[in-house]
Amino acid sequence: MRGNVRVRVDGTEVEVDPKSVLLDAIKKAGVAMHSFCQAGEIYRGASCRLCLVELPNGKLVPACAFPVSDGLEVRTRTAKTLRVRRSTLELLLAYHRIECWACMRKGDCVLVKMATDLRLDGIPVCAECPLHPEECLLSKGILCLGPLTLAGCDAECPATSGRCWGCRGPVTREDIVVRALKRYMELGFNIGEVVETAEIFWSAHPFLEKIKLVTRGV
Amino acid sequence: MSWTLMDKCCPKCWHNPPSNPCPKYIECRIKGPLCHDSSECRKLRARRLNELMFGRHGIKVRVALASCTLAVGAADVYYAVQEFVRESGLAVDVDIVGCHGLDFIDPWIEVVKKGLPPAIYANVNPEEVSNIVSSYLSGDVSKAFAIKYRTGTAKGEFLVPTLDELEFWRKQVRLVGRNCGIINPESIEEYVARGGYLGLVRAIKKSPDEVIEEIRLAKLRGRGGAGFPTWIKWKAVKDQVSDVKYVVANAEEGDPSAFSNRLLIESDPFIVIEGMIIAGYVTGANKGYIFVGAEFDLAAERLKKAVEEARKYGLLGDNVLGSGFSFDVEVFQDAGRYTSGEETALLEEIEGKRSSPRVRPPYPVSRGLWGKPTVVNNVETLAHAAVIVREGWDRYATIGAEKSGGTKMVSVSGSVRRPGVYEVPIGTSVKTIIDGLAGGPPEGVKLKAIEVGGPAGGFLPASEMDVPLDYDELLKLGVAMGSGILIAIDEHKCIVDLVRQFMVFFVSESCGKCVPCRVGTREMLEILNRICCGEGGQEDLELLQELGETLKNASFCALGSGAPIPVLSTIRYFREEYLTHIREKRCPADTCPVSREVVRYEG
Ligand SMILES: Cc1cc2nc3c(=O)[nH]c(=O)nc-3n(C[C@H](O)[C@H](O)[C@H](O)COP(=O)(O)O)c2cc1C
Ligand code: SF4
Ligand code: SF4
Ligand code: SF4
Ligand code: SF4
Ligand code: SF4
Ligand code: FES
Ligand code: FES
Repeated sequence: MRGNVRVRVDGTEVEVDPKSVLLDAIKKAGVAMHSFCQAGEIYRGASCRLCLVELPNGKLVPACAFPVSDGLEVRTRTAKTLRVRRSTLELLLAYHRIECWACMRKGDCVLVKMATDLRLDGIPVCAECPLHPEECLLSKGILCLGPLTLAGCDAECPATSGRCWGCRGPVTREDIVVRALKRYMELGFNIGEVVETAEIFWSAHPFLEKIKLVTRGV
Repeated sequence: MSWTLMDKCCPKCWHNPPSNPCPKYIECRIKGPLCHDSSECRKLRARRLNELMFGRHGIKVRVALASCTLAVGAADVYYAVQEFVRESGLAVDVDIVGCHGLDFIDPWIEVVKKGLPPAIYANVNPEEVSNIVSSYLSGDVSKAFAIKYRTGTAKGEFLVPTLDELEFWRKQVRLVGRNCGIINPESIEEYVARGGYLGLVRAIKKSPDEVIEEIRLAKLRGRGGAGFPTWIKWKAVKDQVSDVKYVVANAEEGDPSAFSNRLLIESDPFIVIEGMIIAGYVTGANKGYIFVGAEFDLAAERLKKAVEEARKYGLLGDNVLGSGFSFDVEVFQDAGRYTSGEETALLEEIEGKRSSPRVRPPYPVSRGLWGKPTVVNNVETLAHAAVIVREGWDRYATIGAEKSGGTKMVSVSGSVRRPGVYEVPIGTSVKTIIDGLAGGPPEGVKLKAIEVGGPAGGFLPASEMDVPLDYDELLKLGVAMGSGILIAIDEHKCIVDLVRQFMVFFVSESCGKCVPCRVGTREMLEILNRICCGEGGQEDLELLQELGETLKNASFCALGSGAPIPVLSTIRYFREEYLTHIREKRCPADTCPVSREVVRYEG
């Protein structure tokens, strides 16, 4: 392969076209990588900062935009990169209106994949649920706790056997809880019943008290 | 109009740019005529030089007109001087001049009469003008703030110091600022009369590589903030193969509390243009842009005028001074945004796009303006380059610090008696600048911190004031030199609140492109607001530090990575003040909402 350059990704050497960026090399090395802003049609160039990788000098650079060069070495999962990516994703999600049950990205959402990988909670099971919003159990009158439950199980239950019981514990972000409860109400569920169902797994969780408080406000 | 130094002395002069420019045109202005011998032509020059100094009739009043003096009423002083001249019927030339950078003497005028010491009058108000000028003309200088030199002929002369006897003048090393407050910023003639454009003349007699070597040996580092060695940048652009290259002078100066670039271009726009032409010659660029901040109307006007004059006399345009090298400059005034000062955002803006930074690499040196190799330098950096080539690197390199040569114009403000712009060798201690030059804090006030380098610089405790003003030394203490800003902060100011105000600045100036900066600055502000309102908790400090690290490491450009520096440096040096807000619910300076009723800033 004439003209190619060699790049080391987490110790694995790969050969790539000199015109490519680090992310190409990382993919070629078979290393799973976070990235967000370069995924869609509206790439604006390294703006999400979720694909940062570490150079030997400790500098973090965006893999999606950093040009490869021969002998370049990068580490994709150092403590520093993970810490910074996690914090950045947290910032990104802080202003994100999370309404996964009605979102077109649900079932294939990059955010929830990164969030679970980076051990960030805040996104509900619905984000991972493969059921189309129209097939959502809630619309069939089945009380699914997906909207209130932390993602990370790949929506095991709704994907196979039925409703989510909330075994992974509650989402604690208040704005999501409020929106989720509104959703239940819109669809004619009794909030008391929702809370009762939630008590099965969360009876000892301090957050349930908070939900009860919020419910009073709804 | 009468004959000026820039005009041909007699029909024997064949200087005719651009078709037939004389290479000796600049030297010939003062030393000439060089190609023919004529006592008439020599006399013409001597007479004109004399006129520039003392006016056509031996009396001249110069009024400092720059943004700083205009802000405190210099325009009225100017009108008052004109009126005085009209009413008195005296033959007096009234002229404008830039600014010395001594903010505390604004508005000021200079009165000169042959045979008397040129005198500077400080804090002039329009009503006093006729008194001041009349008493000066009667030979009494006792009311002057300073005189330029002694003649021993004036009354009260020995009550008044010369500029050089004033510590804050003598201790400066004015290299790039040597013409500031001395020449008329709208007259290329006065610039040339003071040795202007000799740097360009010297440069084009050398090869580009020789000039780059001089800049290297002079140890010139960029004055725009990052302190990048200028010769590396120039060489990188020179080594690029491209038929089109650009030089961009960065005069955005968006840092609040920075005013030295503005002072420079308002008082001596020519030196920046000279530096640009040299940069163009060295790198092979034929076109330059001066990127001027939106607020700098006066500066832009003066730059435009200086460009026009340079074109008129063949210093810009085709075949500059017969060197075969062509260069032209355009003045571009931006829309006024802090990120516009970032070198790639600035290029985007010149291209007519939204001024957000570009992905780097590629750096502007390889793919800059319209994809062509581009030098982006701060205006002061370019001015230094002109000085280096004119004076020679050996002289220049003796001034300054070990790894960084020359001087820096420093903007000093805050609790000092003499706020202003001071040009000092790099490596001068912060203490010397604050106490020696700026006069220290007013009576009875104690300083507790110095804010260095502007909003993204950082806070130094007063106990660390001995640190030299030098890129590397400051970084060791966790602060950055930035654009040379020093703000003296006294005990009546709350550090946390100041930091919070800087964060408000970053929140509104973040261009919004990348996540850490766009959201992170808001979150940090939220926490700071909380602390200032007395609602902060102990964990907030850790939170600030963690967010700060994220912004520092993950931001797209230096705005985001610089934004947490004030926070981080104050948590390092002024932790106690944060804790007082958090634990005791009290503001040590008593300025924070924690001790008052407040409106909360909701991000
Ligand atoms: C947010 C931001 C604002 C900046 N503003 C300025 C400015 O106002 N003036 C300036 O000269 N450089 C500014 N810079 C630095 C420029 O990007 C660039 O480094 C500088 O113009 C290079 O010139 P130098 O090598 O002569 O220092 C800024 C950088 C950033 C990140
Ligand atoms: S699925 Fe949920 S987290 Fe993903 S984009 Fe939609 S609302 Fe956001
Ligand atoms: S079925 Fe359950 S998990 Fe899936 S979208 Fe509906 S509520 Fe959410
Ligand atoms: S019940 Fe547990 S495993 Fe099943 S979908 Fe809900 S959280 Fe996932
Ligand atoms: S040396 Fe040049 S500028 Fe001077 S008089 Fe002769 S032609 Fe004119
Ligand atoms: S760091 Fe801030 S200013 Fe710079 S690109 Fe990101 S959002 Fe824009
Ligand atoms: S994928 Fe967004 S910065 Fe690289
Ligand atoms: S006096 Fe001119 S800059 Fe202040």
